[in-house]
Amino acid sequence: MKHKALSIFVLLLALATLMPAGILAQDMVELELWYHGGTQEENDETRAQVDRFNAMQDAIQVNFVELAGSLVAGTGYNDAVNAAAVAGDLPCILDLDGPNLYNYAWAGFLAPLDDYMSDELRADILPSLIDQGLYNGKIYAMGQYDSGLALVGRVSLLEEVGLRIPTSIDDAWTLDEFNDVLASLQALDSVEYAIDLKMNYGAGEWYTYAFSPVVQGFGGDLIDRETLSAEGLLNGPEAVAAMEWIKSLFDNGYATLTPPDDNEFINGNAAMGFLGHWMATGYYEAFGDDMIVLPVVNFGARQATGMGSWAWSITTQCDNPDAAWAFMEFMLTPEEILSITDVNAAVPGRLSALAMSELFGEGGRMNIFVQQLESGIAIPRPITPGYPAVTSAFFTAMDNIIKGGDIQAELDAAVDKIDQDIADNDGYPVQS
Amino acid sequence: MRRLTRFQGHETAYAWLMSAPALIGLFLFVALPLFGGLYWSFTNKRLISPLPTKYVGFQNYQNLLGLQIIRLEPEIDPATRQARIDAEGNKIYPRTRTIVRGNPAYQGYREWFTSDVFGGRYVVIARDPTFLRSLINTFVFVLVIVPGQGGLALIMALLVNQRLRGRYVFRTIYFSPVVTSMAVLAIVWTFLYNPDQGLINRFLSAVTFGNFQPDWLVSADSALVAIIILSAWQAAGFQMIIFLAGLQGIPQSLYEAAQIDGGNTWQQFRHVTIPQLRNTTIFVIISTTILAFRLFTQVDVMTKGGPQDATVTVVFHAVDTGFRQQKIGYGSAVTVLFFILVVTIALMQRALLKSDVEVE
Amino acid sequence: MSANIAGEIDYRARRGQSRRRLRRFLILVIDYSIMIGLAMFFLFPIVFMVVSSFKPEKLIFDDLKTIAWAFIPREVTLENFTSVFRRVPFGRFMFNSTFIVLATVSAGLLVNSMIAFALARLRWKGKTAVLSLVIALSIVPLDAIVVPLLVLVNEFPWIDGSIGWLDTLHVQIIPFVADAFSIFLFYQFFIGIPRDFDEAATIDGGSPFAVYRRIVVPLSRPVFATVAILQALFLWSSYLWPLMATRGEASRPLTVGITSFYGQDVKWAQILAFASMITIPVLILFLLFQKWFVQSVAATGLKG
Repeated sequence: MKHKALSIFVLLLALATLMPAGILAQDMVELELWYHGGTQEENDETRAQVDRFNAMQDAIQVNFVELAGSLVAGTGYNDAVNAAAVAGDLPCILDLDGPNLYNYAWAGFLAPLDDYMSDELRADILPSLIDQGLYNGKIYAMGQYDSGLALVGRVSLLEEVGLRIPTSIDDAWTLDEFNDVLASLQALDSVEYAIDLKMNYGAGEWYTYAFSPVVQGFGGDLIDRETLSAEGLLNGPEAVAAMEWIKSLFDNGYATLTPPDDNEFINGNAAMGFLGHWMATGYYEAFGDDMIVLPVVNFGARQATGMGSWAWSITTQCDNPDAAWAFMEFMLTPEEILSITDVNAAVPGRLSALAMSELFGEGGRMNIFVQQLESGIAIPRPITPGYPAVTSAFFTAMDNIIKGGDIQAELDAAVDKIDQDIADNDGYPVQS
Repeated sequence: MRRLTRFQGHETAYAWLMSAPALIGLFLFVALPLFGGLYWSFTNKRLISPLPTKYVGFQNYQNLLGLQIIRLEPEIDPATRQARIDAEGNKIYPRTRTIVRGNPAYQGYREWFTSDVFGGRYVVIARDPTFLRSLINTFVFVLVIVPGQGGLALIMALLVNQRLRGRYVFRTIYFSPVVTSMAVLAIVWTFLYNPDQGLINRFLSAVTFGNFQPDWLVSADSALVAIIILSAWQAAGFQMIIFLAGLQGIPQSLYEAAQIDGGNTWQQFRHVTIPQLRNTTIFVIISTTILAFRLFTQVDVMTKGGPQDATVTVVFHAVDTGFRQQKIGYGSAVTVLFFILVVTIALMQRALLKSDVEVE
Repeated sequence: MSANIAGEIDYRARRGQSRRRLRRFLILVIDYSIMIGLAMFFLFPIVFMVVSSFKPEKLIFDDLKTIAWAFIPREVTLENFTSVFRRVPFGRFMFNSTFIVLATVSAGLLVNSMIAFALARLRWKGKTAVLSLVIALSIVPLDAIVVPLLVLVNEFPWIDGSIGWLDTLHVQIIPFVADAFSIFLFYQFFIGIPRDFDEAATIDGGSPFAVYRRIVVPLSRPVFATVAILQALFLWSSYLWPLMATRGEASRPLTVGITSFYGQDVKWAQILAFASMITIPVLILFLLFQKWFVQSVAATGLKG
């Protein structure tokens, strides 16, 4: 019995050492790339882009690795990146969700891209992407696209309830109008409830991305963008009012806390959807011209919506940053940008690509997203190395609130956590 | 003493040689991390940070355990010198946060809960209310799971120990969740627990005509219950097998003797089965307790400790602070306290339970 | 409900009392009702999972509206399974999990039984100290040391000269080979084997290792089986450690594979297909060996 067990062990060990061995051409540079996952379609297209890059030249081979991830930055992906950073084992090319870059850049994991980017390229990049990529005066990440947060609805249902349908960001619904819309849609027999808020993504980056603009719309914010402290903003009366309104959506039954998956709008359970661009294509396929992308609601204090998306970066642990940039340059060509944004309906990250796009160009179906970014109503998530603590404090508080917690107490706790994190890190002194 | 010489003096050498692999493993992967964790718990070491690691003494422990009670005085109306009263006739109290933030002695504290007792309002403030809540949740879980799951397991063992047709089938069914990974089951049960569309509430709704449909994982009141049900469901089969082994070890002659004495079924159970199962029960209690303290997977997959910390456990808090929030020093302090807790309870249980084993 | 209702029933029945016969029948009905009720409770999630994994996504939700249909595969498709294979390297995850379990368990059986043999059957200086150490360490929960362990293994060298074990298969194997609780189980069993056998071997001029290999091991099959099964169950469902110590798909086990799959683009039909593919092979293995398993547990003295 022992002998058998021992020989099986030795055999398996031998097998394991042989497994990863790959055969490589001698002078080929091999780069690892980590990708967060995305929707199935997005994932397939990104893989195809990497394949295209590998096929068009012989010098660089990019190895696509899809990590535990989620549509919006999930703990899974961040856990993996953190573990890799500790192990000094980051890939050359790292896919990261916008706001996390400040922490990584502060910790020294990311290489600045400024020297690689030509002036031409830089001038052609969507300004919002430059803003998101900048930390401490340098650009650390560049995405192929920016995100769009919007309401979607069905023309037929909106016409049935007979309320005004906005067509551009200038005539967005006011809060009162929107409350009427929700109440009327809720009364329809053909749907189960008024709006799908994508709560299936769970307490995580989605909450911050989608609902911190609501807080801003009411006049609050996550943190003070100058002092980085959250006191008075995240727990002020405006933020409390925003949270009361969000909670009322669930209390009134307009939204459910537990949609089982991403399909509540497609399958007709929900009359509207509040969602990121990444679902828009599938929804359009389901409803065709009946689906309409609506501008975000004007909550009173200001118009606000989310921005920032997944971006590519080069790590300081990369032995071949030049080769990594060659890949990024390829990914940032207008053709490749459009090939992915056609699939995920994100806003193309270059002005030249934007001009070529049917979806996003003037009068295009998704043009609302561009209007939101260009008009400045899209607000970047806080640019601070403490962002991981900020977002975690916010989404935890919001999750507790919508599940019955006391609004003021939860927001106070979030503020304390954010300020405690700043203290723990000696105020995040800039590293030279 | 023949044994001393039987291996011609090689015995010690062989003993060390045969022990070496295990000892090296235990040293490197159990003892060393244990001491490493103890060491780091006195520092502010972070997983990833450009800042240098500093020695912080007992700061992490103070932050974990910091707890104070303040008595709130109602606001006094300067005009009447009486406590101010709101529309519903209740006294108006100042906001706890104002007091905590205004007093340097309370720095770093936040409100955990407030309670009106003994004619006054008391606020319990803590530096890390989540940790204290995790202690409570973990104890609640252990106190419910150990008797609950153990009792269920005993009932199942008694049932399938009868010489009934089909007992092997039932035994297999009861055991089947045990061989399935908790990570998998937690995902499947998340779907089952969906309040609107999940199988469990669809069923409850049909049976109770819509009168009983808990929110399960979504509500702070029921989330821990939901996790307890899943946990007991998954693991009861294991304890059942151990009880079954215990039952099959009871000599048949004892039952025969009891029957001759005229004992009925209950009396046989009471006077033969229970005393004979004493050792088995002790083993089940000790092992279930230790396993229950380690509650993590279900929580991580299903609730991430929420809502409102209702399901946060000590191990979850250790991983959340030490790994996800990257505060190695702090997370290590949590694990050191966890270790002390588990060892204390294990030793206490052993002392209490083993003392009357000797009677047997 | 007693262990001995059946025995009692037989005894009474032989005396041919008709009132007793009715009573016996009633008890039987109650017994079976409880057993069947419990069986449904223990089976429904697994049956629902397997049945649904063969349904198209939309049908799962439609069928949930009527409970009965939820358990009937009225439309069968393999698409969920093919989608899983297309989206993730399921075979790789399966290999990783299987390899980790087999390697750890087989190495663990050898390593832990050897030290237990030395502790239980040999006389040597330091034995008492080592034994107390093992018992003390058996209380240490793995969860209490994962955070520091992660930092430590990241500094350990490996045979190919690299530093750091993270994101490998061996980081999921080597730390779990030596296991204090397994040692303790072996020790308890070995100490109960009569010593006469050793002496016979000693007379033949065997070394302690020969006694271990030729006498103690062959006599200890039940404890080997029990330890193997306990360790295998523990490792197969291991989640916390691989979650922290691995990241890429290359060394990811099934548990982390499915939770990360669950974290991205939720498609329940596919998730349930994934879950079924993890569960069914183990259930089949268990069905084949279950009788043997119960006997081993009984013989090992796991009952205390």
